[in-house]
Amino acid sequence: MARNKYDVDEELLTKFKMKDLIRLLKYLKPYKLTMFVTVLLMLTASVANLIGPLLVQNAIDYKIPAGNIKGLVILSGIFVVTLIVNAICFKFRVILMSQLGNNVVKKIREDIFYKIQKLPFSYYDSRPHGKILVRVVNYVNSLSDLLTNGFINFITDMFTLVCIIVFMLFINVKLTLISMIGLPPLFICIMLIKNIQRKNTQALSMKQSNLNAYIHESICGVKVTQSFAREEQNQGIFHELNKIYRRAWMRFVKANFVLWPIIETISTIGIIILYFGGIFWVKGITIGVLIAFTSYISRFWQPISNLGNFYNAMINAMAYLERIFETLDEEVSIENLPGAIPMPEVKGAVEFRNVSFSYEEGKKILDKINFRFQPGSTIALVGPTGAGKSTIINLLSRFYDVQEGEVLIDGINIIEVQLESLRKQMGVMLQDTFLFSGTVMSNIKYARPDATDEEAIRAAKTVCAHEFIMNMPNGYYTEINERGTRLSIGERQLISFARALLADPRILILDEATSSIDTRTELALQKGLQGLLVGRTSFIIAHRLSTIKNAHCIMYVDNGSIVERGTHDELMAARGYYYKLYNSQFSVMEAG
Amino acid sequence: MENVKWVWKYIRKYKLRMCIALIFVLVASALSMVTPYVSGIIIDKVIKQSHHDMLLKLCMLMLAATIIKSIIRFSYQIMFETISQGAYMKIRESMYQKLQNMDFKFFDTTRTGDIMARMTGDMDTVRHLISWVIYMVFENAAIFIFAVTLLFTINWQFTLAMLLVVPFLAWAAIRLAGDVRPTFSAIREQFSRLNSVVQENISGNRVIKAFATEYIEINKFDKENEAYRQRNMDSAKVWSKYLPIIDALAGTLSLIILIVGGILTINNKISIGELVTFNSIVWALGNPMRNFGWLINDIQRFNASADKIREYLNNESAISNIEKAAKKEITGFVEFKNVSFGYDNDEVLKNVSLKAKPGETVAIIGPTGSGKSTLVNLICRFYDCSEGEVLIDNVNVKDMDLRTLRSKVSVAMQDVFLFSDTIEGNIAYGVPDAPYESIKQAAGIADADDFISSLPEGYDTIIGERGVGLSGGQRQRIALARAILKDPSILILDDTTSSVDMETEFEIHRTLRSFYNNKTTFIIAHRISSVKNADKIIVLNGGQIIEQGTHKELLNLKGYYYNVYQSQYGDFDGLDEKEVG
Repeated sequence: MARNKYDVDEELLTKFKMKDLIRLLKYLKPYKLTMFVTVLLMLTASVANLIGPLLVQNAIDYKIPAGNIKGLVILSGIFVVTLIVNAICFKFRVILMSQLGNNVVKKIREDIFYKIQKLPFSYYDSRPHGKILVRVVNYVNSLSDLLTNGFINFITDMFTLVCIIVFMLFINVKLTLISMIGLPPLFICIMLIKNIQRKNTQALSMKQSNLNAYIHESICGVKVTQSFAREEQNQGIFHELNKIYRRAWMRFVKANFVLWPIIETISTIGIIILYFGGIFWVKGITIGVLIAFTSYISRFWQPISNLGNFYNAMINAMAYLERIFETLDEEVSIENLPGAIPMPEVKGAVEFRNVSFSYEEGKKILDKINFRFQPGSTIALVGPTGAGKSTIINLLSRFYDVQEGEVLIDGINIIEVQLESLRKQMGVMLQDTFLFSGTVMSNIKYARPDATDEEAIRAAKTVCAHEFIMNMPNGYYTEINERGTRLSIGERQLISFARALLADPRILILDEATSSIDTRTELALQKGLQGLLVGRTSFIIAHRLSTIKNAHCIMYVDNGSIVERGTHDELMAARGYYYKLYNSQFSVMEAG
Repeated sequence: MENVKWVWKYIRKYKLRMCIALIFVLVASALSMVTPYVSGIIIDKVIKQSHHDMLLKLCMLMLAATIIKSIIRFSYQIMFETISQGAYMKIRESMYQKLQNMDFKFFDTTRTGDIMARMTGDMDTVRHLISWVIYMVFENAAIFIFAVTLLFTINWQFTLAMLLVVPFLAWAAIRLAGDVRPTFSAIREQFSRLNSVVQENISGNRVIKAFATEYIEINKFDKENEAYRQRNMDSAKVWSKYLPIIDALAGTLSLIILIVGGILTINNKISIGELVTFNSIVWALGNPMRNFGWLINDIQRFNASADKIREYLNNESAISNIEKAAKKEITGFVEFKNVSFGYDNDEVLKNVSLKAKPGETVAIIGPTGSGKSTLVNLICRFYDCSEGEVLIDNVNVKDMDLRTLRSKVSVAMQDVFLFSDTIEGNIAYGVPDAPYESIKQAAGIADADDFISSLPEGYDTIIGERGVGLSGGQRQRIALARAILKDPSILILDDTTSSVDMETEFEIHRTLRSFYNNKTTFIIAHRISSVKNADKIIVLNGGQIIEQGTHKELLNLKGYYYNVYQSQYGDFDGLDEKEVG
């Protein structure tokens, strides 16, 4: 699989599609009523707003020349009403719009988060985590403005436009037609800028993603950076990325800013033509009409320039939307098959039938693996690093799907059962001991939140973690950071071991679970485990052979095949790979 | 105000450009008065007094003013963007620098998601302030002032009447500013939390899948996501209270024109042309007023974010260079003198003393959590000891230049972190300009050359963040090669080979010894085979040295070390007579 790094733009798989927009609109569907009310509010407000110039025109044309003060007062009264109506509409519009926008943002974020829960390891493995993070959090936020203001402003602007045109037509048809002469050239300009803008926004969003990925990685790897005294070097890289981002940003804003002067110039030309038209070409225009017209025209161009802004906002949002939908459309390669049944309670018979597997095409990691074990067996996997041991156990939990052959548990092919019901019965202790931020207790209880404190403590005692936990400032209620920094790896391993045990799995998988634990603790731990392992099938990968000597079966994996299998005694007698490996630990004691 | 001062520090550099841009703003604002003013003249002179010949000239004036204004506006927008991007970059870079130099304790106690939130969302609000809010404030203020001045020259009484709304506006604005600020802080706070949940979810994806606990994660996420929505709504409720009031106050201006202006005109205090001018300039008073509310919103949003960013920038790293720090070469004498250390109240090392000479290998063994890693972390000053002193070449590490120290001490940490880069880039992390041969050689010493070369793209293979795609042992060996390539005077291997099989591990140690005959090496390990050839073996338990000596000496002590030896090799009695192949 191709991996992405911080300074490489991700490929954009989809082209600009109306489909994305329609898909976004689908999120708005449940809020049809809210939108309707909001639009209604805005329309009321715009009508109220448009009455103002009419009132002023009336005053200038009739009331003032006639010296009609009473008439003025009446007009003012109407004006006050329009102001109040406007304010009330404004208030409710803001509330409704925020509700709508925030709800939709919440829903989209939910969808994308739920989606990434389903994505396989390979998705996470193939790109910097910072790039996933910004999609879920920052990109979704960027949509909020479009959703809260964009769409509804768009609808009302359109309506305002229509209203203005109607009002203008109502006053004078010829003048109206003259005023709109600027529209065609404007649309030509917008079409021309459009493509440039789109390219710029996409570039910007990619540069931003790169920058964020680098920040994220820098934070996660800061300890390494400091220990290699590489801060200045990184600062330099960061500076470069920032510069690239700035360049993209400037290109992006230039295209955005150029629209406004165009609109304004065209608008002024419109007013000029209007004056000429009103004075020379069209007969019988009063001053009041002309004033009302100039006032309408400036209001007429306002929504148009808003449309320009809306268009910009949409282009921006599209760049993010594409990324979001791309994630939503990411293929879930490992999921429940239609009609998958829940895994019945696992007894623990495990079988691999002709299993072959490769992460990348043409590079076989496992080649026709076959084995079969009774419930309750303890199976150890040994062999050189990279031989495929971890892969075998990853297939057992269906972290990856086999390309050939079948993995069966209690005679059931695991691709036929519901993923969750399968994994819930497996206790996997990975090489990667990720702990969550929270207390030690909440971490141990992670897989079984309803367990009692006593059960959790019992699990901790079994894995010999109790003592060091009690030595921490707040014992089991000590807060630890994500990844458990400050705890040593050995301690982290013990906590995640307790976590795996508390889940009470039917099949226990230990992938170098104790590699960083000292020998004495390990011995004590093994003793504690003994009782727990009875009746459970367990798979153990370990480099320290003392850990696995008592296994029911030891399989020596090399180059993706099982080259030897048997008990410790059998394999020692066979004098093959295992024998050599076993003796090597003593030969190294001799040598030196 | 504090926050504004802080931003000013970054903008100061662009003072001149800022001044030019602001002058541009003034010119553009002045020019935007031309159209309404000319409109008034057109009504009065052209239409009412039928000076039709003037129309073309006046219109040309209007058009010219608009075009010039557009060009000027475009230029100052770009100028402000340039300034803001410059300042923004500087802020972001100083934040990055700060983070790069913060002590380990900070990272031990701060969530990555929280840092990310500040580096992305909060930064963006700051950028918005510099590039948009500042010139909007000026633009609006300038337009407002110009309009008021213009109107004053036409009729000052009438103008004063219009300005009556201003005190009410100010009242609403102050209330808004006060009420909305805490809601924005709450949003930023919640944003951090949301970010942290998502960030951890992504980092912990393997564990989550292994336990099928997606439902737990979804619950956690739902809670924060909903809270984030709620915080945003809280904020919207506050501004939805004040913004309509401000908007209505701006609308009142037209009302004043209608009633006051109307009466004044009827009483012949002003001409109808003047009333038209007033009417056409009313936007120049009203729009700044309307924008005022939004700008206050933006400014308070900025304040909330700036608080969060500055909180980090004001953080002092507990580990920093003293003045006149020693920058000399390091030969490799290491001495611990009565060193004690604790995280908060939790004492990890108690009164530890030890010495190591160049060329010596010191191995450290002991139970999980006994303080082994802490001990070596003190050598390159990842933490400072609370009592006693750590000396290198008889100089206290606190008096040494941090960079010199760290560039001569190489640590392969137990928690392997690799970067999403090529393998070559990862190994050369500390020495970016290292030639390929040295990289290959370092990989060879770490016994990684074989497997790297067998990859389809060899050293150019891109590995994922944290080295996903490689087995634990492979990752460890790359990290080891990375530490070796740095060519340090002191090499620290903190349980670096725990996932490597024993034979390989042994080979690695043997090769290392031959390469490092003049360097000081510290090895933390659990396998007797890795430590037995060390010049000195130290057994740590509960933060204290309980045994030290050579392999033979320690076996004779029949203490902790002997027990460990027994459990690893106990069943292999008569090891010495055993014939090995």
